[in-house]
Amino acid sequence: MTDWCKKSPLDWKDYMNKEIKVTADEKNEYRGWVLTVDPVTANIVLVNVLEDGKVSVTVVMGHAVQKVDILDEGNDEIKERLAYLFMPEEIKTFSKEDLEKRKNSLKSWLEQNHIPVTQQGDEQRTLCVAGVLTIDPPYGPENCSSSNEIILSRVQALIQSAITH
Amino acid sequence: MMPGSQGMESRMDVPVPVIRLPRGPDGISRGFDLNSLRYQALGLKDCKELKQEQKARTVMREQYLRSLLAMAGQPVCFTMYEKVTVTACFGSSDIDILNFQVSELQTPLGVQREALLRCPDIISYTFQISPQHTGT
Repeated sequence: MTDWCKKSPLDWKDYMNKEIKVTADEKNEYRGWVLTVDPVTANIVLVNVLEDGKVSVTVVMGHAVQKVDILDEGNDEIKERLAYLFMPEEIKTFSKEDLEKRKNSLKSWLEQNHIPVTQQGDEQRTLCVAGVLTIDPPYGPENCSSSNEIILSRVQALIQSAITH
Repeated sequence: MMPGSQGMESRMDVPVPVIRLPRGPDGISRGFDLNSLRYQALGLKDCKELKQEQKARTVMREQYLRSLLAMAGQPVCFTMYEKVTVTACFGSSDIDILNFQVSELQTPLGVQREALLRCPDIISYTFQISPQHTGT
């Protein structure tokens, strides 16, 4: 178990969207932009854009990490590119403004129906209904998650009727 | 007075430790109430810090799981210990990321149709995604 594995998730989060150099076991060295660090295994996901426009993803296993050096602090543009790299296709067909519009119209629709809604998550993109159900972008009936199936089916029906409304 | 009752009395003075668990789910929440005095008495972690940590955890874990999804069906190059490099088509992983299920594993001893790779044996793995996947 290395020092890297013992770090807390908040420590790992500091490395996100930065360019780093990782020294791993058997003198392997890797460079790239940190997409994420898996909080379970401490695996580091590094992203590099190749000359032909393809994206190369290298994952260094957490148990093999010996040393991590930050090379570049990164900027908002890189942050945005990395955030959308693995997002499902359906989100990408909507622009950021479209998603914001869809979110706000759904929020007001739910509020009209006397359902308490809050926003949460990264950039407040997730809608949360009564603390028990979340709706992720692009805010369709199939984007609802809840462990309470009764609330789930009710809210899904409501969203469906908002679409056909 | 019965013999030995004196000793019994003094033994009763020793307080019995009571383990108090945090209050359980109240039906609308999904777990222990982090604001309850009982939870705080456990002294595990500052409530605010814990919330921040859990938020960071979910964001990072979601991205990692999505990276595994993007890798499914792709040729992946694994760098293992003892300077072994193998290529295989990634299938799936178990939830603890302890084993990777791969197919067409190309080893120096020939091609294995199906195989499980133990993650502790891996140092790193690399794959490529095409630009249409990134949507930029």
